[in-house]
Amino acid sequence: MKFNSVGQIALVVAVCAYLLSVYFMASPVWMGFTINALIVAVIAQSWNITGGFGGMSSFGHAALYGTGAYASAILQVQYGVNPWLAFAIGIVAGAAMGGFIGALAFRYGLKGSYFALVTLAFAEVLRICASSFDITGGGSGLQLKLEPGIANLQFPDRTVVYTLLLVVVALVMLVTYMIKKSRFGAYLVAVRENEDAARALGIDTYKIKVQAMVISGAFGGLAGALYLQLWLFIDSTVVYGSAVSIEALIGPIIGGAGTVWGPLIGTLGLHLLGEGAKHLLPNAPGLNFVLYAIVLICAVRFLPRGLMGLAALIGTLKTRKDEDHA
Amino acid sequence: MNFRIDRRDLLKASGAMAMTLAAPSILRAQGATVKVGVLEPLTGNLAYNGTQSAAGAKFAADKINAAGGIKSMNGAMIELVVVDAQSRPEVAASSVDTLAQAGVVAFTGATASSLGLASSQAAAKYDLAQVFSIGTAETVVERGLPNVFRFTPGVNKCTSVALENLKLLNQGAGNVVKTAAIVHEDGPFGSNMAKILATELPKQGIEVVETISHPTPHRDFSNIALRVKASKADILIPSNYLNEYTLMARSLRQQRVELKAIYSILGGAASNIKFVRENQEVAQYVMDCNHWYDPNKDESKALAETTAAAGLDLTYDVMVSYATIQVIADALERSGSDDRKKMLEALAASTFDGSIMPYGPTKFVNGDNVNSRPVNTQIRGEKIEVVFPKEFASAEPVFPIPAAQ
Repeated sequence: MKFNSVGQIALVVAVCAYLLSVYFMASPVWMGFTINALIVAVIAQSWNITGGFGGMSSFGHAALYGTGAYASAILQVQYGVNPWLAFAIGIVAGAAMGGFIGALAFRYGLKGSYFALVTLAFAEVLRICASSFDITGGGSGLQLKLEPGIANLQFPDRTVVYTLLLVVVALVMLVTYMIKKSRFGAYLVAVRENEDAARALGIDTYKIKVQAMVISGAFGGLAGALYLQLWLFIDSTVVYGSAVSIEALIGPIIGGAGTVWGPLIGTLGLHLLGEGAKHLLPNAPGLNFVLYAIVLICAVRFLPRGLMGLAALIGTLKTRKDEDHA
Repeated sequence: MNFRIDRRDLLKASGAMAMTLAAPSILRAQGATVKVGVLEPLTGNLAYNGTQSAAGAKFAADKINAAGGIKSMNGAMIELVVVDAQSRPEVAASSVDTLAQAGVVAFTGATASSLGLASSQAAAKYDLAQVFSIGTAETVVERGLPNVFRFTPGVNKCTSVALENLKLLNQGAGNVVKTAAIVHEDGPFGSNMAKILATELPKQGIEVVETISHPTPHRDFSNIALRVKASKADILIPSNYLNEYTLMARSLRQQRVELKAIYSILGGAASNIKFVRENQEVAQYVMDCNHWYDPNKDESKALAETTAAAGLDLTYDVMVSYATIQVIADALERSGSDDRKKMLEALAASTFDGSIMPYGPTKFVNGDNVNSRPVNTQIRGEKIEVVFPKEFASAEPVFPIPAAQ
């Protein structure tokens, strides 16, 4: 993985150092909130594939996240399927939902804000459906039995959970990196930059976009299935709610959309900011959200390429006209 | 260099040393505290309820501390550790780490079942007791977790009591109510309740003629009011939250919808004094079956005064949270220790009957307080009166709504 500047290297080293330091922190609080942040980082990477690399900004990634979580939960609760198998099917279900939404939206040439609205609509429809049918537990949601053990994909030791999540995040980033470096990744960026030109060059833009949605869906489904295995409970608002979709896009925007490290850096940065605010001003609940908003406004206004873009300006290692940042 | 120590210096030094050595024990004796957690959604869509609950817990702790603290622990003061669950289950769960690290002996919370399910599961790892203020979903007590203590009634008990009371009211009025309309929010709470009502009401001879769902938030209730009017339902049973409930009630009034009763189960606004205060005419005679304190107890009256003095609304959140701190304080008195395992044992063996709630002696069976029960309230004038059960009633029920003059 190449970095363009000392600043980017420093940023990545700082993130890695923090993630490792969590093992040695006496307080369990840091590990607890970092576990949450890592799951969000996975859904953020999911958004990054379509929104960051492909320029297809979605406001409804909860549709993918929730589908993964619900597919896994339904299989385990209603049909007694093995949790490992249900987990894998959750990922496939997320991918299928991504493919379905993509195929439908791109078939009719939806892009930009129209695509964003369609994804939002899908997430809302799925939320209402999930709160209406018995198979999804209706309004009560679905609860997995608390049966700690590796066979049930439930790990009572949080250090193990944390380590597994680190591995998952690393794998997701590796896949993202491979996509970025592949021909498919180049096509995806071409679609983002100028879809008409890409089509004129012979790229099947419809196929590329749907494929991106499938990969994004797999990541989203993975994040949802991870959430389920960790907290053992989901309901329609928790996994299909708009908060999930917002978190999915904020991380990459802050960290750097279209970069491999951006979603993780943005998500961790925001969570650290929120947690820090809570600790500094414990009597001001909600201040972390105010900080979120301020940081988001500043990022959109001053950091169009996010923290990774900002870091690229510090100690540039070499000049590259194509701005191929890591 | 020559050091000389005379007797006076020696006495001074000895005195200072004695004070220094004694200081920790003096400080311990004066400032000994026992930490109790309050895990509530102080931000997010449940912020109003969560903030009210946190206030209720504070009022209870202040009252207990003013009365001398936990006597079996040499008058240890209750120190509340309040954390924000942000109305999100994963945050509720990770906030348990903060409570555990702070050294709480037990905690109360968390307003919504989804939050409580996550937090209690996380707390089980620390042997940390959670006394549920509100956690109506039955799954809360169906997991076999030894650290779960639901003090207030669940949705099954609330629904069955509410329907039984409705049956009695209707029979008493000569079965004037024959048709019902259900308006519910499309989230977990509302859609679940609508499903139960659709099954149970026909068993009482009440036909459900209209079921309308709406999202949360929702602002324009004109069409919903018109649909209720067109259905010619005798009774309206709403299941939605405070703002939607308020707007719905106003729209019903504007559209001149004639109803024999508005009857809520765990209603969002029907037991909320803010709704009563701001919607005097609209709110009249609205009934609810909900968590509520025994209004006749002196401590309940004192709580009402304290809440008013603090400029807060007296809602059931304040009451149940107050009561859960009472339950925890009682367990602390009996265990005489801030040991978490002893706390679990003390709560499991609780027979506490001194809370402000109209319950029998506490008896936790599989974590569920079998002697808890909801009451029926009715808005009358500027007050929310208890109308059922009779032994706690502060007013006679008015059913059906008197015809407009």
